Amino acid sequence: MISDFKSSFSSFFNTKILKTISFVSLFSLSFFFQTEINPANADFNVLTTCKESPAFQKRLNTSVKKLENRLKLYTPESKEAIALIKEIEKTKGRFERYGNSNLLCGKDGLPRIIASGQWDHANEFIIPGLLFLYITGWIGWVGRKYVRYASQTDDPFENEIIINVPVALAIMTSGFLWPVDAWKEFVTGDLLASDDDVTVSPR
Amino acid sequence: MNYFLKYLSTAPVLLTALLSVTSGFIMFINFIYPDPLIFPSF
Repeated sequence: MISDFKSSFSSFFNTKILKTISFVSLFSLSFFFQTEINPANADFNVLTTCKESPAFQKRLNTSVKKLENRLKLYTPESKEAIALIKEIEKTKGRFERYGNSNLLCGKDGLPRIIASGQWDHANEFIIPGLLFLYITGWIGWVGRKYVRYASQTDDPFENEIIINVPVALAIMTSGFLWPVDAWKEFVTGDLLASDDDVTVSPR
Repeated sequence: MNYFLKYLSTAPVLLTALLSVTSGFIMFINFIYPDPLIFPSF
């Protein structure tokens, strides 16, 4: 009777829905039990905006001066001189872009990425991070879709080493809505393999 | 011709082509928008 109760309890506990619910509830409880609400914008006392940082300006001047010194060694219209002029413009443009953005610099004049999650520095971590996850998710999702297609063909082994290019291209271009597709598959139970298909070592 | 197309569809050939296109794309992005440190605010 105890072994019956154990097996039914473990099978109940192993359901995917219960796992999802427990994860979501623990995650939301962690917010509820926070004793201290952190301020939305952290006060960075040791950092200054790069535009107003003297060390940042000094780095710009040093880099440009070095390039200009090298430029003196070449005749004005030579390809080395043209390349160095392009490099000087690129350097000035880079420093101007970093200065015009909301970047903070340290005492060394080098910009810092603020990864704390605050919205005034969203361009530095949050947006590139989300973009990265979207792109890698696209790649992974379409790869999985092709492999699942290949497993349904007459010769799955051959279709995994000799790719069916028209099908692969069609699948690749359909991947831009992968978060929606993934959620749909999760809700219909198609995303995860059932527990019966997962082999377990003998207990 | 069929065999040639089948050869071009093999994994190493397609991987070379895909990586060439991807790296060319990244080089082009860096050419038109060099030294990206943060996501640009338009």
